[in-house]
Amino acid sequence: MDNLLKRSVLQVEELDIFYGSFQAVRNVSFDVKAGEIFGLLGPNGAGKTSTLSAIEGLLKPQSGNITVAGFSIKDKPLHVRANLGVQLQATSFQPELSIVEILKLYAGIHAVEMNDEKLKAILANIKLEDAGSKRFGQLSGGQQQRVSLVIAMIHEPRLLLLDEPTSGLDPQSRRQLWERMEALREKDHGIVLTTHSMEEAEAVCDRIAIIDHGQIINIDTPAALIEKHRNDPEVIGASRKGKITLEDVFIGLTGKAIRS
Amino acid sequence: MQTTIPSTSAILSSLLRADFTTQWRNRRSVILVVLVPVVILISWKGLVEKLGGTFVLSNCITIGLNAIGLMGYSNAIARDRDKGVFQRLRVAPIPSWSIMASRLLVQLAMILIVTTAVFVTGFYFDKISLSPVGYLLGFIAAFVGGTVYLALGQAIVGLIKNPETVNAVTRLTYFIFIMIGMFGELGMLGHELGEVVRWSPYGTVKRLLSASMDPHTWSQDTTLYLLATIGYTIGFTTLGIKWFKWNTR
Repeated sequence: MDNLLKRSVLQVEELDIFYGSFQAVRNVSFDVKAGEIFGLLGPNGAGKTSTLSAIEGLLKPQSGNITVAGFSIKDKPLHVRANLGVQLQATSFQPELSIVEILKLYAGIHAVEMNDEKLKAILANIKLEDAGSKRFGQLSGGQQQRVSLVIAMIHEPRLLLLDEPTSGLDPQSRRQLWERMEALREKDHGIVLTTHSMEEAEAVCDRIAIIDHGQIINIDTPAALIEKHRNDPEVIGASRKGKITLEDVFIGLTGKAIRS
Repeated sequence: MQTTIPSTSAILSSLLRADFTTQWRNRRSVILVVLVPVVILISWKGLVEKLGGTFVLSNCITIGLNAIGLMGYSNAIARDRDKGVFQRLRVAPIPSWSIMASRLLVQLAMILIVTTAVFVTGFYFDKISLSPVGYLLGFIAAFVGGTVYLALGQAIVGLIKNPETVNAVTRLTYFIFIMIGMFGELGMLGHELGEVVRWSPYGTVKRLLSASMDPHTWSQDTTLYLLATIGYTIGFTTLGIKWFKWNTR
C-alpha cells in the first residue's frame, strides 16, 4: 500500500487557535490520506484536543484552513461533518435512551436508512446482540467504546477522529479496538487518533505527529521517528531498558516534566 | 462517494423522537411538574368563589409554567451539556439551532399538558368553566407565558456552567417566584411589593393568562402585561443565547 498515491481526506494548514491571549495551537499543518491511521501525540495540554475540536467544527480557529474530503470547514461545515465520524474524549449519549434508540437517533441525523435487520447486524458486529435495550450507562467501558465507535461510523465517513479511544480499557478490549481500526483502514477510511499510549501509537499508526506547546515538532512513521532520534542524548537519557522505544523518543522530544 | 446532508425535517423528526422518549422516561418528574399546580388548584377550591375562577386557574398555570422552565428545561440542558451530549450531537451534520428547537418543542408539549391538566381539574373539582374562546386564548397565553420561563431557564444555564449550581439556583428562583408571586397576588405582602410582583414575570404572565381566559376583561393594562411578557422573553432569550456555551470546559 503506498499512501503517497492516495488522496488526502484531511488537510490542516497553518492552524492557529487562541483561548484569550493564550495560544493553544501554533501554525499546525498536516494531512491524512485515505487508508491511513495518523497518530497525534502530545503531553497534556499540548494542543491535541484543540486541534481535533477545530477539525470537528466545535472550535473556530483564529487562522488556518481545514479541508475534509475536499470540503472547507469555513465554507461547507455541514459537508465536512457529513464526512466526519467522531469519537469524543468526553462524550455521552442521553442516559434515558437505549442503545437501539441511540443508534436510530444517529442514523436519522446522518440520513442513514435503518431497519430492524440492519440494527441487528450492527449489534451483532459489536457483539452486543442482547444489549440493544440497555442504556449506555449500563454497559462496560469496552462495550461503551464499541457503541461509540459504531455510532461514529454509522454513516461510513471518510475520516474518523478518535480522541483517546482506548483510555481505561482492558488489554482485550484495547486489542479488539485496534483490530477494528485496522479493518477500517483496509476499507480506505482515514483515521486520526490521539492517545497517550505509545504502545498503541507504535502498534497501529502509519504516521505520527508529535505536538508540544501547540506546535508539531515531528511527523513521520513510528519506525522512522525512532531511527531519526535514537542517538539524541535526551532520548538515550529517557531510555529505561537499553532499547529505544517510541516512548523514549516522545519523552526525549517533549521533556520529562509532568504537564498539568 | 456522494456527500449526503440530511433534510431539516429528517433531523427534527429524529431529534424529537429521542427528546420525547427522554421526556417519557423521566415521567416521574413530569408528573411532579403537573401535580404541583393541580394540588394547589384542588386545595384552593374554597377560594374560587372569593377570588374568581380565572384568578385561581391563572395562578396555578403560572406555577406550572415556572416549574417547566426553571425546574425541567434548565436542569435537563445543564445535565446534558455537562455530560457532553450536545457536543456529540454537534459533530453531526445538523445545524446547532435544531438541537435546541427540538428541546423547546418538547417543553411546548409540556405546557400543553400542564395547561390541560389545570383546565380539566378546574372543571371537575372546582367547577370552573370557561367559554371555548377562553380556553383557546388560555392555551395561547400559556404558550406565550411559558416562553418567559423557558427563556429565564436558558439565561440561567447560560450564566452558570455547573449543573448542580444550576439546579440550586433554579430551585431558589422557582421558590421565590411561587411564594412571593402567590402571596403578592393575594395582597399579603403590602402595596409596594404587590406592585413589584404585578410587573414581575410572575405577575405579568398570571394577569395575561387571567385576561385571556375571560376575554371581556382584557384592558389596556393587559396589553401592557402582554408587552412586558414579550419584553421579558426577548431579554432573557438574548442573555441566554449570548451567554450560552455548548460545553462546560
